Amino acid sequence: MSKTFDRIAAITFLAVGALFMVESLRISKSAYGSAVGPNVFPFLLGLILVLLSIKLLFETARYVHSESEKQPLQYKKFFIILLAAVFYAALLETVGYVITTFVFLVIGFQTMEKGGLWKSVLFAACFSLGVYGLYVKLLQGTLPSWPIWLQ
Amino acid sequence: MDALTFLIDGFQTALQPHNLFFAFLGVLIGTAVGVLPGIGPMSGVALLIPVTASMTSGLDPAQAATSSIILLAGVYYGAMYGGSTTSILLNTPGESSSVVTTLDGYQMAKQGRAGAALSMAAIGSFVAGLVSLIALVLLAEPLSNVALKFGPAEYFSLMLLGLAAVSGLAGNSMTKAWMMTVFGLLLSTIGLDNVSGVARFTYNISFLYGGLEFLTVAVGLFALGEVFKAILHKEKNDGEIAKIGRILPSKAEAKESVGPIARGSLLGFFVGVLPGAGATLASFFSYIMEKKLSKTPEKFGKGTIAGVAAPESANNAASGGAMIPLLTLGIPGSGTTAILMGALIMYNVQPGPLLFDEHPDVAWGLIASMFIGNVMLLILNMPLVKIFAKIIETPTKYLLPLIVAISVFGVYAVQVTIFDVFLLIGFGLLGYLLAQHDFPLAPLVLGLVLGPMIENNMRRALTASNGDFMVFFEKPISLVLLIIAFLWIVVPFIMKLKGKSIIVNEDM
Repeated sequence: MSKTFDRIAAITFLAVGALFMVESLRISKSAYGSAVGPNVFPFLLGLILVLLSIKLLFETARYVHSESEKQPLQYKKFFIILLAAVFYAALLETVGYVITTFVFLVIGFQTMEKGGLWKSVLFAACFSLGVYGLYVKLLQGTLPSWPIWLQ
Repeated sequence: MDALTFLIDGFQTALQPHNLFFAFLGVLIGTAVGVLPGIGPMSGVALLIPVTASMTSGLDPAQAATSSIILLAGVYYGAMYGGSTTSILLNTPGESSSVVTTLDGYQMAKQGRAGAALSMAAIGSFVAGLVSLIALVLLAEPLSNVALKFGPAEYFSLMLLGLAAVSGLAGNSMTKAWMMTVFGLLLSTIGLDNVSGVARFTYNISFLYGGLEFLTVAVGLFALGEVFKAILHKEKNDGEIAKIGRILPSKAEAKESVGPIARGSLLGFFVGVLPGAGATLASFFSYIMEKKLSKTPEKFGKGTIAGVAAPESANNAASGGAMIPLLTLGIPGSGTTAILMGALIMYNVQPGPLLFDEHPDVAWGLIASMFIGNVMLLILNMPLVKIFAKIIETPTKYLLPLIVAISVFGVYAVQVTIFDVFLLIGFGLLGYLLAQHDFPLAPLVLGLVLGPMIENNMRRALTASNGDFMVFFEKPISLVLLIIAFLWIVVPFIMKLKGKSIIVNEDM
């Protein structure tokens, strides 16, 4: 149990709960006949979250400070893939499903483990085209297909 | 007995070659749909309606209706089967009712017991399907009367009981579990309020008007969270996974699972009969009940077979139970049954009290084909278990980006907005951070599911009673449920204070 993380988490949740409480005060109280309007539930829940966060804060004070083994985290790989995923999402509709998925997968495969470029390209192409073909052509689902300038 | 003769007629319809083919196609597609995270039975059924319409265009209307419904129903409970596969293998819930299976199933897969988990899920689902069908045939009428007695106050109390069950999903810290539950409940308030139509916490972002879609959150938290964890912590799976030699569960495991499967089937069936309370709730309830009744509750969450058998049986039984309000009352209990109902109406078959009188061949043909479909699923899935178990032997180099791509596909295919894909990634990060530091994710998801139901039913009940809060205690069923919820929370507390050794969470 990480003391620092729990502390930060407790404070964050406190802020979130408080935010919900404040925002819910701005929601209309009108309820069309019911005694309980749309503002009550979020307000109460925000209050409970605030109280629980305070309880967690008190609990963290009682933590035995354990020396957790610092595992070396692979930050670089993680951030590359995260960034790739964000770009994947951002460009999905503009550039089309097939191309973005293909590029994302190739980046993903190569980031995880360099080497075997052709295999990566092959798998990525098979997946992107396969899913597109199956879902859009066969089942007539909706996926953005190609960028405007390629159609 | 009337029902039996009709059932035999139904079997005659269902055993016709083209109906057998439709059933097989349905369960095959359903399994595939269930395996893919994101695309659930709802989308699968909806996508297939035009396809079935064109496939059955040559038949006369009544026969076309029967065949199409057989296919679509096959997709429905096939998806319940398939949903557990990725939950167990990849910690990716294939659909909302499989979220609970990830808790123990994935742990079992990490210990090399994926084959046993998968086959137990299949067997449990099969037994549950049979139980729910038998109950459907015998109990349809009395159960629909009971379902009618459940008003908003009763639903509210039932959902409160569901909340009280969070205590079973907690890990080390109850405070954290409750925080997650409340956070989930808060997240569920985002969007247009159902009762008054007021927009809450949307800040004019139109994508938020419908609220946070459950599957986006669940797939993000569980699947992407696990992927991020694997990338960051250099999971060296390749060497450690024991050979998937054991496909079938061992004798001890099978014996251990008999109780959970039986209890899960019955509980799931009754929960499924209630419109609105569907397979998801059934799976949560049965997991919690098994944990409470088990002699070794500390094993739950670390890979015990009962933790897989019970929720899987429950969610299949619930899908059988959900047919009851659909067929007998014409009330669809969930999104999927609503689409099934739409398909029925499209063929001029009106579900409801007169369905069994006017179109007995459709109704009984459907029920009979559900029997057959269950058998087909079992035969289909058992050999597939070995193939599926090999999936986790895929090198992580390919597996992890593929999971991300599949999750993105699943979410986009259903929601068709980039906003939800961003939400998916965001929840993935959140899921990683929370899970890494002992904040349990299942209560968050439970809160997200229960939030709207609790709030709406409470407000409806209060509107109907003119603001009188005593209505929850005056109605008998509601009172009983509230007492059970109260006891559920309080009894372990009291027993702990008395010093009895109960596996309750330490820092409370």
